[in-house]
Amino acid sequence: MSDPRDGSRNQVEQALERYLTEQQMTRRELIERIGALGALVALAPIVAACATGAASVAPSVVAPTATPARTTAAASAAPTATPVPTPVPSPESELIVYNWLDYIGEDVIPSFQEKYPVKVKYELFDDIEVAYAKLGKDGSGYDVSFPTSVDIPRFSAAGTIIPLDKSLLPNIANLGAEWKNPGYDPDNTHSVPYVWWTTGVGYDTKKVTDSPTSSKALWDPRYKNHISMLDDYQEAFGLALIQLGYSANTTDTTQMDAALALLKQQKPLLRTYSSDTVGTMVSGDVWIGQIWGSDLYQINQENENISFFIPEEGGVRGSDTAVIYSGAKHPIAAHLFLNHLLDAKVSASNTNTIGYMGPNEAAKPFIDPAILADPAVNPDKAILAKLEELLDLPNAVDQEYLTRWQALKAGG
Amino acid sequence: MLTKGRGTIVVLPAVVWLAIFFLLPLAFILVVSLGSRDELGRIVLDRPSLDNYRRAFNPDYLPTLVNALRYALLTTVASLLIGYPVAYWISHYGGHRKALLLVLVMLPFWTSYLIRTYAWMIILRDNGVVNGLLRAIGLTSEPIILLNTDFSVVLGMTYGFLPFAILPIYVSIDRLDDNLVAAARDLYASGRSAFLHVTLPLSMPGIIAASLLTFIPAIGDFVTPDLLGGAQQTTIAKVIQERFLDGRDWPFGSALGFILIAVTMVGTLIALRRVRREIVGE
Repeated sequence: MSDPRDGSRNQVEQALERYLTEQQMTRRELIERIGALGALVALAPIVAACATGAASVAPSVVAPTATPARTTAAASAAPTATPVPTPVPSPESELIVYNWLDYIGEDVIPSFQEKYPVKVKYELFDDIEVAYAKLGKDGSGYDVSFPTSVDIPRFSAAGTIIPLDKSLLPNIANLGAEWKNPGYDPDNTHSVPYVWWTTGVGYDTKKVTDSPTSSKALWDPRYKNHISMLDDYQEAFGLALIQLGYSANTTDTTQMDAALALLKQQKPLLRTYSSDTVGTMVSGDVWIGQIWGSDLYQINQENENISFFIPEEGGVRGSDTAVIYSGAKHPIAAHLFLNHLLDAKVSASNTNTIGYMGPNEAAKPFIDPAILADPAVNPDKAILAKLEELLDLPNAVDQEYLTRWQALKAGG
Repeated sequence: MLTKGRGTIVVLPAVVWLAIFFLLPLAFILVVSLGSRDELGRIVLDRPSLDNYRRAFNPDYLPTLVNALRYALLTTVASLLIGYPVAYWISHYGGHRKALLLVLVMLPFWTSYLIRTYAWMIILRDNGVVNGLLRAIGLTSEPIILLNTDFSVVLGMTYGFLPFAILPIYVSIDRLDDNLVAAARDLYASGRSAFLHVTLPLSMPGIIAASLLTFIPAIGDFVTPDLLGGAQQTTIAKVIQERFLDGRDWPFGSALGFILIAVTMVGTLIALRRVRREIVGE
């Protein structure tokens, strides 16, 4: 629900991004090409991308050589701090993984297949709700997938995902202290964290010149018609609630009403509720807006004047996890894969490829220094302490938020 | 001549098509709208009730329905005002290039509607083509806000649905017997009067078809208000989309959707009755 690549980000946006990535083109270049060649010529290939869209996103990383099992001989070897594969049970010969598009380091699957005699079938999705629908109650044939952390409690309660066998996950020791006991899954019983991000405020330093530090800057009438909020009710309410000094996950309807009143006050000043913050901030339409920190890198590629801060009042942290489904036919291979993802170098490879920080403390020496130095992606400890995770709320509470969110967005 | 039995066989594929792709989904929406959702967001149908409809008739949603009607109406009027002269011109002055001109009208369909809407964003935004041009010729210094306004929504929809307006109007004008206009002129009707009393009434079926073909997709369109609209341009279709995706509340989304379909269908049936009256001349 709080995921940056959520349903609110529409198909065309994704198709466009996919196309731009494939063509190694930035949005600005695209626009220049449109100007130079005429829109039809420049955009025609995207149509193809759109049309084939979901169908063509599975260029599966099919296993090359299955290296002979080196497990059985060393069956009694004790797990060590170095990520030597725990050899206890031998893995199944296949593993079926279902992940976001563009959401893994390039060498992660090949190195797993080199290490174990497992052939990985790697399939992709570009909308988490679609993925959830497909995964159903037990994974529908998929062994491993990557749900958003907020959804872990309901999946574990429903038996959709299985409790993890920690003896097969020695690399869990690599996790940073703040990930040992996350609120959505105490003691990581059912999931291991994959990558995380923060929500904060991005602003154009040319238009907003007084270096704001409070989220109240999003209510500043000087920026009327150039302010945006994320099109996500948990994020928008979360920001308002935290500004008022409440929890972003409050179940108190009086506090929700106070947040609604605050957001209603803001609405006439807003340009848009949009989660395409890359688009709105690069286009110059929005001078100051609520954005996911993970989008800043991409925004700065095209407009280096955009700065980011996590409000002094506090902010929201979101994360994705890796889990094993109850219907998994290859549970041992799945555990080995999760353990592989927790490997320092593998986690660093993910971060270096996709630009999100992982929860892996041991990975830091292998991460690109530019990413580590980016406060939007890797905030310092003092700020980390003020971050709150969004939790999955019971239907009745969720309904209270949604009703207010609709009233806010629909109201004149 | 087709016998009655043969005629039935001929329409059979259309009936099957409609049953599978229209009636079945519609029935599905109706059934789901009577259900509720469990804590996992799954649809539960064991205790059917009208609760979702009760929730839907909430004054909060009224402005979104009003917005949708307003945009659809403005789009229809704009499409007719632009489409009629274009159709008239092609029919009367297109000459041997008529076919080419009609292909040009349909040309935008070769590109996805989403992509074309995205192109409008690039044109209308603050750093966009229009504002760049205005600044370059010194008309403005600060960008004029065009994107995320009522204007951009109606513009985008009109652009998108214009071909649906031009084609039926073109057909009705092109089939019109020119002798009727000539006869009116012979009887001393002015050009304007002949148009108002002969051409316009006789092309009315085309105008009504054009109105339906723009109004119906416009009222259910969530892509244009979503991409070209802003914080103040929420429509009912966008609310429905959100209920399905973000809220993961399919039953309630279905109820809202069913209401919108019902409103649109009733409106269409009334309009079609009028068309029949126009054509049959009752």
